[in-house]
Amino acid sequence: MHRYIIKRLLMLIPVLLCVAFIIFAIMDVAEGDPVYSVVSADATEEEIEAQREAMGLTGSLLERYFRYVKGMLQGDLGTSYVSKRDVMETYLTRLPNTLKLAAVTMAIALGISIPLGIVAAVNQNSIKDTVSMILALLGLSMPNFWLGLLLIIVFSLKLGWFPSGGYEDGVLSIILPAFTIGAGLAAFMTRSTRSSMLDVIRQDYLRMARAKGVSERKVIRKHALRNALIPIITVFGVQFSNVLGGSVLAETVFAWPGVGRLVVDAIDQRDIPTVTGALVMTTMLVTVVNLLIDIVYAYVDPRIKAQYMK
Amino acid sequence: MRDQIVEKKVTVSQKYKKRSTFISIWRQLRKNKGALIGLAMLVLIIAIALASPYIFDYDTQVIANNIKGRMQAPSADHWFGTDDMGRDIFARVCYGARYSLAVGVVAVLFALVFGVTWGAAAGYIGGPFEDITMRICDIFSSIPSVLMAIAVVSALGKSTFNLMIAVGITSTAPFVRVARAAVLTIRGEEYIESARAIGVPEWRIVATHIMPNSVSQIIVQATLRVGSAIISAAQLSFLGLGVPAPAPEWGSMLSAGRSYIRDYNYMTLYPGLAIMVTVLSLNLIGDGLRDALDPKLKR
Repeated sequence: MHRYIIKRLLMLIPVLLCVAFIIFAIMDVAEGDPVYSVVSADATEEEIEAQREAMGLTGSLLERYFRYVKGMLQGDLGTSYVSKRDVMETYLTRLPNTLKLAAVTMAIALGISIPLGIVAAVNQNSIKDTVSMILALLGLSMPNFWLGLLLIIVFSLKLGWFPSGGYEDGVLSIILPAFTIGAGLAAFMTRSTRSSMLDVIRQDYLRMARAKGVSERKVIRKHALRNALIPIITVFGVQFSNVLGGSVLAETVFAWPGVGRLVVDAIDQRDIPTVTGALVMTTMLVTVVNLLIDIVYAYVDPRIKAQYMK
Repeated sequence: MRDQIVEKKVTVSQKYKKRSTFISIWRQLRKNKGALIGLAMLVLIIAIALASPYIFDYDTQVIANNIKGRMQAPSADHWFGTDDMGRDIFARVCYGARYSLAVGVVAVLFALVFGVTWGAAAGYIGGPFEDITMRICDIFSSIPSVLMAIAVVSALGKSTFNLMIAVGITSTAPFVRVARAAVLTIRGEEYIESARAIGVPEWRIVATHIMPNSVSQIIVQATLRVGSAIISAAQLSFLGLGVPAPAPEWGSMLSAGRSYIRDYNYMTLYPGLAIMVTVLSLNLIGDGLRDALDPKLKR
């Protein structure tokens, strides 16, 4: 088991380097020479060259990339062209806000999807199942930022229950943005929970449990759900990336000061170091979270554990 | 004489088989009420998209400013009201179907052609090429697709074409996976060996003997992906990175409506509803196709 974890951790290194390279290469295509956004209009040729050197823009793509990675390993993601602040520092001040949002989002999504998915599976082909599936389909088809706008219209402008944006109202201000991202996720997970439960419900060990007189409630809760949860955990891990992606839109709609908003603002200002840094860090976060989930998964499911023991 | 008879038999059976695949998909699909509703909705949306240039004049009705008539609530003259520039929202929503469908379909076609070719090659060639391909897919799946698309558009510049490229790139990985998986399951079959033995070129084995087996999965994937591509495109336009103004793109209409959400919320209502209905129709069809094509789901 430890060997498996160590192997996975080692494999993470080339993946992270690749991620950084892909993002670095994409951002390198960006039109316009960033030097001109910094130097004054009457700068001499020498001043421009000196500035280029200072901004680390000399050399080929690979040279610059290796310099970037070297800096990255020491926690240096460069300096913002606009605010002149350290990118890593800015990122770390924004990250907790996004993580908070992501945590509440996931809690909402799980809170809705697991009960709904179970009810749908247990009452397959009944009206409850149909209603759950229609809700899930609507949730999947609805663009999250539009849902955010609708929530603002209803719950903050009409009813006045929640603020329409910002960060100041504590728990109240997190509910609408989290629901905005969480609704689509909940829809997706309701479907996963339902199909995972349907797979398990047909297994022999459930029939066995029923035959020996275990109550139906206990059969579902203890025998079916526990087994059905395993594939749901993986789905959940994969969806973490979508939650962070969705937060870009929700943070824009609700003026939430997180990483997504940081990226969108930085793109408006053509602040390439901030965009690159934030994208690289976010992707790393997703990769690491997925690895952790894989490891947890291996611990939870004895079948997988046995596979790696070999 | 004998050869002729044999040949005739083969062509008849092949023809029968080809027809039967599509007929059986249609027969299955016909039983699925949701899929039929989705199909009807999609046909209507496509009809609106095709007809809108004949119903509305683009220059005078869709993009021309009419400040005097701005912010009119929905009425008999303006079914969905008018926006901050006095443009008829109904005309713009109808015209917007052209952008959303075009971006969705072109982006997914790009992803499909590129992804399937790459995935099939990876599955067929195997070895390090396959490993590297799968790692690249993993990497692309771990970069949140919105962020990836944002990066691509901001690097290439804002335009409808670049939007298609950006959304296409983020939709490629699933096609690579589907195509590779399809090739893997069939690679070792005897009839592939036989084809190789009689000297059929490798690319042709992949194209004519292997890929047709995965067509159904690719169709399902493509239908569902067009829906998510439409949402991604609208998201980027909402962030100001999509179809440039004043084109009537649904996402950018929502972005404009957001500034007036307090007093004129109908501006945000209809474009979003249009996106949802379009994506819903594609999801209904995609789900129906998946159920029709996947024997495991026939419960």
